[in-house]
Amino acid sequence: MEGSPLLRQVAHQRQALFDEGLLDEQFVQLEELQDRTNPNFVEEIVTTYYQDTSRLILNIEQELERRPLDFGRLDGYVYQFKGSSTSFGAKKVKAECSLFREYCRAGNGEGCMRTFQQLKREYATLKRKLEAYFQLARQARLTQTASPPG
Amino acid sequence: MELQSDVADTQQQMEQQHFHVLAVDDSPFERKLLERLLRECACKVTCVESGDKALEYLNQLDTYQSNSADSTASLSSSQSPQQEGLKINLIITDYSMPGMSGYDLLKTVKGSSSSWKDIPVVVISSENVPSRISMCLQEGAEEFLLKPLKLSDLKNLQPHLLKSLVHYNKDTKCSTDTGNNNNNDNVVKMNNNVISKRIAMSPEPSERRPKPKELAVV
Repeated sequence: MEGSPLLRQVAHQRQALFDEGLLDEQFVQLEELQDRTNPNFVEEIVTTYYQDTSRLILNIEQELERRPLDFGRLDGYVYQFKGSSTSFGAKKVKAECSLFREYCRAGNGEGCMRTFQQLKREYATLKRKLEAYFQLARQARLTQTASPPG
Repeated sequence: MELQSDVADTQQQMEQQHFHVLAVDDSPFERKLLERLLRECACKVTCVESGDKALEYLNQLDTYQSNSADSTASLSSSQSPQQEGLKINLIITDYSMPGMSGYDLLKTVKGSSSSWKDIPVVVISSENVPSRISMCLQEGAEEFLLKPLKLSDLKNLQPHLLKSLVHYNKDTKCSTDTGNNNNNDNVVKMNNNVISKRIAMSPEPSERRPKPKELAVV
């Protein structure tokens, strides 16, 4: 079972998320909260994270269209984004949020917009890779139950 | 499945005392995470999205409990609302929320003339702002936790939950019972995310100063 190529692939893909700096230790905390009583916790919380943050992305986009920019409101949304991303373990996204906040505080609109683009890219990459990982993990679980034990 | 004697049953019930925690956070993600973490600590959890909703809930409980009390002739300690599982043993609230902040909620709860002021309150925040932390501790928060929360942060809240039990059961106004003082040491010995004031026997003003050990830089 441990030697199954599919399971090895799953483990490898998971490790890559950490090695590439997309996820940090906090994500492991979330994984540890998944057990028999809460068998889908990780996927559920990932879904909630993306639901919450996509709403924030919309808010930020709207803010960035204002003239003049309201850096206070903008920072408020980014603060929330950063908070959730930190609790989620989204390392790169969190870093972009920190940078974004710095530009907000400096009242640097150009910097804000540039960083936001970068943030969205990292955010989308993480989402894509997590989805691929979960899909593979699901496949592996199905394969496991299909084959006889031992 | 284990077979148990009646005695063991009672003991297990006491050990598995399901504390009821009221969790307040405007973020659905944070609420979901908080709820899971708290349930992992064998707590019953009620999540609300704002300070206003929290107060509303506390009010509802009060109404329910006073109605129940009226219907029982005499309320012995074994028939306490605690057994109903409804009474709130701890409030854990995010600091930054739109409208009523966690600090506002803390002030309201601690400033109330009812039993609310005896409910331990823990404030959580993703920002490490010393002035904010001391403000909350001085207002009566038991702990100020920094996000991201770990399971160990919440497990360390056990003494506060026990304190609320003791407090209620003994129906006294004093802050702690000697029995809990051993646990207080565990609370003070903390990890990077927890800043706590010592739970003193008699809360002198100086005792209520926060002890900022190992402030985590977020």
